[in-house]
Amino acid sequence: METYASLRNLKFLLHEVLNFSQLQQYERFADYDDEAADMALDAARQIADTYLYPFYREMDKDKAYYAEGTVHTHPALKEGIKALADGGWIAAIDDYDAGGQQMPATLLHAGLFQFYAANANLAAYAFLTQAAANLIRTFGDEKLHEAFVPDMYSGAWQGTMALTEPQAGSSLSDITTSAELTDEGHYLIRGQKIYISGGDHTAVDNVVHLLLARIKGAPAGTRGISLFVVPKFRLEDGELVDNDVTTAGIFGKMGQKGYVAAHLMLGEQREDCHGYLVGSPHQGLKFMFQMMNEARIGTGLVAAGTASAAYYAALKYAKERPQGRHPSNKDVNQEQVLIIEHADVKRMLLFQKAVVEGSLALLLQCSKLSDIAHVAEGEEKENAHLLLELLTPIAKSYPSEMGTLAVSTGMQCLGGAGYTDDFPLEQYYRDIRVNAIYEGTTGIHGMDLLGRKVTMAKGKAVKLLMQEIQATIEMAAKHSQLADMATQLGQVTRQLHKVTLSLLELASKEKPEVFLADATLYLEYFGTVTIAWQWLKQAAISNAALEKDLSTDEYEFYQGKVFTCRYFFEYELPKTSGLAYRLSSEDRLTLEIEESFIN
Amino acid sequence: MKLLVCVSKTPDTTTKIKFTSDNSELDTNGVQYIMNPYDEWYALVRALELKEAQGGSVTILNVGPAENDTVIRKGLAIGADEAVRINADPQSSLNVAKQIAEYAKGEGFDIVFFGKETIDYNGSEVSAMVAELLDMPFISYASHMEMDGNNATIKRDIEGGVETLSVDTPFVISAAKGLAEQRIPNMRGIMMAKRKPLKVVPAATFDDPVATVSYELPPEKGQVKLIDPENMDELVRLLHEEAKVI
Repeated sequence: METYASLRNLKFLLHEVLNFSQLQQYERFADYDDEAADMALDAARQIADTYLYPFYREMDKDKAYYAEGTVHTHPALKEGIKALADGGWIAAIDDYDAGGQQMPATLLHAGLFQFYAANANLAAYAFLTQAAANLIRTFGDEKLHEAFVPDMYSGAWQGTMALTEPQAGSSLSDITTSAELTDEGHYLIRGQKIYISGGDHTAVDNVVHLLLARIKGAPAGTRGISLFVVPKFRLEDGELVDNDVTTAGIFGKMGQKGYVAAHLMLGEQREDCHGYLVGSPHQGLKFMFQMMNEARIGTGLVAAGTASAAYYAALKYAKERPQGRHPSNKDVNQEQVLIIEHADVKRMLLFQKAVVEGSLALLLQCSKLSDIAHVAEGEEKENAHLLLELLTPIAKSYPSEMGTLAVSTGMQCLGGAGYTDDFPLEQYYRDIRVNAIYEGTTGIHGMDLLGRKVTMAKGKAVKLLMQEIQATIEMAAKHSQLADMATQLGQVTRQLHKVTLSLLELASKEKPEVFLADATLYLEYFGTVTIAWQWLKQAAISNAALEKDLSTDEYEFYQGKVFTCRYFFEYELPKTSGLAYRLSSEDRLTLEIEESFIN
Repeated sequence: MKLLVCVSKTPDTTTKIKFTSDNSELDTNGVQYIMNPYDEWYALVRALELKEAQGGSVTILNVGPAENDTVIRKGLAIGADEAVRINADPQSSLNVAKQIAEYAKGEGFDIVFFGKETIDYNGSEVSAMVAELLDMPFISYASHMEMDGNNATIKRDIEGGVETLSVDTPFVISAAKGLAEQRIPNMRGIMMAKRKPLKVVPAATFDDPVATVSYELPPEKGQVKLIDPENMDELVRLLHEEAKVI
C-alpha cells in the first residue's frame, strides 16, 4: 500500500487519461516521451521518500522559531532544498540553455504532487523559490536574471512573494510600502510586509523577495503598484552585505509549523533597503497576477497532496484495526472485524479517495492546458488559455475546501486515535486548512468565477467546457455500466447551465451585490460538476482497461476507479440539487439581514 | 579507467510474487521492474565516483530482451556514458556469465563491477563465474574501495570483522552496502539518457546446463496475536511453543 501518494495513479492520469506524450508534438516538449516522464516521476518519488517524508512530523514537532533576529528552521530543510535543486526540479521549467529542462507543467505538477504529499512544509520553500525566479526571468532584465536566478535555482537562495501588509491583504490596492528612485538607479524601499512565507530562515544564504511597492508619486490603487526584487543581502563589490531587511518575528500558525510566515521590516533601521525594479513601473500587480494561475494550481496541489497523505494514513489504519462486528453478528465470542469492513468506514474512505483523485485529475488537466496555452498557436492556444482561466478557481478551491473535509473524515476513521499526535491525521488537519485562504480565499475565487470567468470572451470558456464534458459523456455512454452516470452528468450540466444563465440575467438587472452574494456556493456547485466530469472520464478509461487480461493489482486499481466514480455520482453529485435550489432562489436574506441581527 | 558495470533487472521490492500454473516460471503479468539495487546503488555509483576522480568511462551492460531498455536508461540517467545490452534471454547463471565474458574479454576493462547479488534470486553466482571466465581476480561483497594508480585496496565485511585486500587491475568486484551512496537521477541526466548510446549486441550461443524445475513460495505468515501486556506467561509460551524463537 502507498504511504502518501499513489505513483500508479499519477501514471494512470498522465498516460491513460491525459495522453501526456501528445505534448511531444510541440517543439519545446519534443524530448518528453512516456519513458522520460516515468523516470522523472520515479526520481521524484525517491527524493520524496529520502529527503521529504521522513521529516514531515519532525518539522512540526521541532517547529521553526525566531531568535536573535533570524528564523531557525529544522536541519532537514537545507538538505531537502538541495536535493530538490540538485534533482533539477527548481529549474525544471526554464529553457535548456538557461539551465532548465523545458519540463512541461503537466509533469512538473505530477512531481510536485508527490513532494507536497510527502512533506509540503519542506517542498513549498523550493517551489516558492521557483515561482519567484520565474517572475524574474519572465519580466526582469538580463542583469537581474544573472544576479539572482542562478543562486535561486541552486537552492542556495530562497525566493518569496512579498505582497501582504498589515492593512492590505485581499485588498492589494491599499498597499503603502514605498519605493523611491535614487541617482544610482536602484530604489529605496520602506515599509512592512506580513505573512511572508519562507520570508527568512537559516537554511539558505540569502532571501530574495519579489515585492510589491508603490513608487513615490505613483497613481493610487492597483495601477500604481510596481514589482521589485529586494534581497535580504545585496551584492556590493562581489560581497553580500546587509540590505536593511529586518525580520520582526514569525507568526504562530495553526499548522505548517515548519514553513515560516515572517513579518518583515524594510528600510526601517537605516533607510538603506535597496530594491531593483522588475520590468516597467506600475505594472507590478499585472506581472504578479500573470503568475497567479500557477500559484493557484500550486495551492491546489498542496491541498490535494496533503489530503492524499491523510487518505493513505486512514486507509492503513482501517486495514489494520479490528473493531466491532457486522450488524448482523451479535456474537461477542467471534473475532472483531477490521474497520474497513464496515460500510460507513468504506464510505468515508471513498469520500477521501474521490476528493484526492478527482482533484488531482483536474489539477493535471489544468496543467496540460497551461502547457498548451504556453506553446500552441492560434485558436488552440486561445481555447486552452480560456479553459485554464475558467477552471483555475476550481482547481485551487475544490481541493482546498473539500480536501479539508476529506482529512477530517480521515481523522474520523481513526476514532479517538486520530485526534492524538500518535498518528499524523491531526497534523494533516492543521496543515491543510490554510490552503482555502492562500492565494485568494474561496470567497474571492467564487467572485472571480461568477463575476469574471463565466462571462469572459462572451461566455466562450463555459461553452468550451461544456463541449469537453459532452465528449466525456459520449465516451462513457458507450459503456453500459456507465450509461446512467453519463445521463446523470448530462442532466446536472444542463442544470448548471440554466442556473448560470439565470444568475447572469440577475446581473443585468440588479446591482453586483445581489448577483455575487452566493458566489462561493456557485463555485462549490461548479466545482462538484467539474470533478464529476473528471471522475466519469477516469471511469470510462478504467472500464475499457477492465476488458483486458489484467494482473490482480491492475484489476483492483481499475475497479477502484469505477467504484469511486459510482460513489461520487451517488453521494456527492446529488448535493448539487440543494445548491441549484439556493442559487435559483429569490430570497436575498444575506443582503437583507442587518449586521446587528447577527449577534 | 575503463569500467564495466553489469546490471540486472529485478521485480520491484513491493511486487507480489506469483508463479505460472506449473510453478516453473515467474508470472510476469503486472510485475513492475527496477534495476537491481545492489547494481545501482553501490556498483554503478562507485564506478561513477572513480570515473569522476580519475577520468575514463563507465559502460553498463545488461543481458536480456528489449523490455530491459527502460532499466538500462536509468543507469544512463544516473551517469553512465554508454550501455550495452546483449540480446538474450538466458535461463541459467552460467549462461549469463558466459554472455558477459564473451563481450568483455576483448574490451580491456580495468574493473568489472557487479552488485553482490540480485534481490530476486540472491544467487551471487554470476560475478564469480565472470571472473573465472575472464581469468581475473575476484573480490566479493566489497564495502569500501580506494584506488591508487592501478592498485585497489578493498574492504569487505566478514563474520565478526572486516577484511582488507589489495588487488591490481584488472579485476572483478561485487558491491555490497557501504561501497557508495545511492544517487537519485536528476532531470538533466534523465533528459540526457536518451541521447547516450545503447548498443544491442547479438547473443552468443551457449547451452543452459541448469534448468529450473519449480518454485515454491514460503508459507504465509500467520495472523498477528495481540497479548495482554500483563500476561507475560502467555507471551513466553507463544514465543517458545509457536514461534519457536526461545
